[in-house]
Amino acid sequence: MAAWVKGGATDADAAIKAAADLLAGARTPVFAGLNADVAALRAAYGLAGVIGASLDSVAAPALYAELGVLSRAGAMLTTAAEAVGRADVVLVIGSAPWDRPIVAEIAAAAPRRGRAAGSERTLLSLGSPSNGATRHVSYPVEDGGLAVSIAHLRAFAKGNLSGEAAYADLARRLAAARFGVVLYEPAEVGELGVEMLQGLVKDLNETTRFFALPIADPFQGRALVQLSAWTTGQAPRTGFGRSLPEHDPWRFDSERQVRAGEADAVVWLATLPAPRPDWLGSVPSVAIVGEGGTDATGDAAEVVIAVGVPGESAGGTLWDERRGTLGYRAAAGQPAALTAAAVLDAIRAHLTVKDLAAC
Amino acid sequence: MSTLTLRQEPPERLDLLPVTPLSLSGLSEAEAARLPVGTSRRGLTLGDCFSLSLDGSDTLTIEGGSARLDGVGGSLSGGVIRVVGDVGQRLGAGMSGGTLTVTGSAGPFAGAGATGGTITIEGDAGDHAGGAVYAAKAGLDGATLVIRGRAGDHLGDRMRRGLLLVGQAGAYAGARMIAGTIAAQSVGDHPGYGMRRGTILTGGHGALSPSFVATGTHDLVFLRLLARSLRTISATHADLAAGALTRYSGDLATLGKGELWVAAG
Repeated sequence: MAAWVKGGATDADAAIKAAADLLAGARTPVFAGLNADVAALRAAYGLAGVIGASLDSVAAPALYAELGVLSRAGAMLTTAAEAVGRADVVLVIGSAPWDRPIVAEIAAAAPRRGRAAGSERTLLSLGSPSNGATRHVSYPVEDGGLAVSIAHLRAFAKGNLSGEAAYADLARRLAAARFGVVLYEPAEVGELGVEMLQGLVKDLNETTRFFALPIADPFQGRALVQLSAWTTGQAPRTGFGRSLPEHDPWRFDSERQVRAGEADAVVWLATLPAPRPDWLGSVPSVAIVGEGGTDATGDAAEVVIAVGVPGESAGGTLWDERRGTLGYRAAAGQPAALTAAAVLDAIRAHLTVKDLAAC
Repeated sequence: MSTLTLRQEPPERLDLLPVTPLSLSGLSEAEAARLPVGTSRRGLTLGDCFSLSLDGSDTLTIEGGSARLDGVGGSLSGGVIRVVGDVGQRLGAGMSGGTLTVTGSAGPFAGAGATGGTITIEGDAGDHAGGAVYAAKAGLDGATLVIRGRAGDHLGDRMRRGLLLVGQAGAYAGARMIAGTIAAQSVGDHPGYGMRRGTILTGGHGALSPSFVATGTHDLVFLRLLARSLRTISATHADLAAGALTRYSGDLATLGKGELWVAAG
């Protein structure tokens, strides 16, 4: 393992003590990143509760595009396995899903269960990149972007618009599906677009079966949603400044907090790779990162502690996208000396909360 | 008139939701000074940040605003709150009556879920003014929200009832609107995205969603009534309603009973 304080290499105990000192004096500490295994996330919530910190995830744009819609309008969802096994029509929205293995898996199979079993599978796309590797019928995105295009498509699907437009043809194909699935990446589509898409799916269910399959973010966001729910009863952007957990997606946006000068200490927790924000250096910060990663350097933060990487140099419970659930992944190689959860618990044990200045 | 005077820029966001003329009327200045308003573990109280002068009246002035004052007037049910300066998020969010005025600018979610009374922002408003907060079913819900300056994006998002009057608004004004009326001198791209019912009146707009269709020009009694009701608040907006207008119907992706009235020519 490796640790640095103000750029100088040191041992783990000294770095943990420096981190505890830094956090003890903070008025509005913030946890950001949160791309780690469940044990580390749980330790982060425990420490945040003690020091009155708020928490935010690097996956928040994707999470809140989904959660905002789910909390107000609901959703009709399916799993990857059901999509692969049953769908005769699959619509891929945008370009992000094409980078994931699920598209190739769907394209390589045909429905073998349920009402569409034995039929051919048709792959459709709306706003896809030119991808010659997978055969599909492509429909262009409109000038206003994906959300506007989905609204236009839905107007045809509802029968409120008619004609020979490309989207009229796409709407007919969707309505003719026996078991349809629409695949999308929530951050790319955005909250408004996701709500419109879920509305389209509900409309299609008036006459056939149609479900949505949102692609998980690559930053353990879905593991965090579950942990946050069972720990606080709230979604991830939660703060403990007033002891009880408060959920506020605007107030506890870590980038906003730092840029507004509200946050006076940041803990960047990313034992799995995540893009380190440029604002991290502008606030006194502690980085708990995976050893051997690009951020495991002395200049990543004021205090840097490198720990085991879940699934590689440490065991840990992570989100399994293919199964759509949490699963344990053992260390693949030599285990690291320290885990993120152990470091966070050690910081908590060292903590001495200082008196803070009044207004 | 009671007065709270901010001593200096607060070191953290403050939650002024519990502070109204009614809630202060039964308290001595010493008791009011102990009201918790801080949002960090420091436990700041009203007296830590403001000097207080209370007379039990139904009018409260907050002197020296800050973009860190959240929830101002959110529990107002009657009386007057006047802020000389800026405020943070959720100005008047959830208020049920009374008069709330801000001489400066407001942060996001001003008037969210407000069911009654009048909110006036003499400067600009942030995103989601009159819009719904996370997990809320509705944005502005019966109150009147007047923004003399500019509003950000998502003005009146999921608005359900009431009147929202604004100078210039950003993109997606009136998105997911359930009902109510928005009057704007101009709005940005894609006004009324996903709106079910409701009325948006505007002098101009950015890109229009293809799920809105023009339905011609009309001379309706409703528009004359709208112009009359707007004239008490803004002559500019009333003149807009009284002038020649083109009507668009939408959002046809949803219920399609909304209407967008745009100054013709």
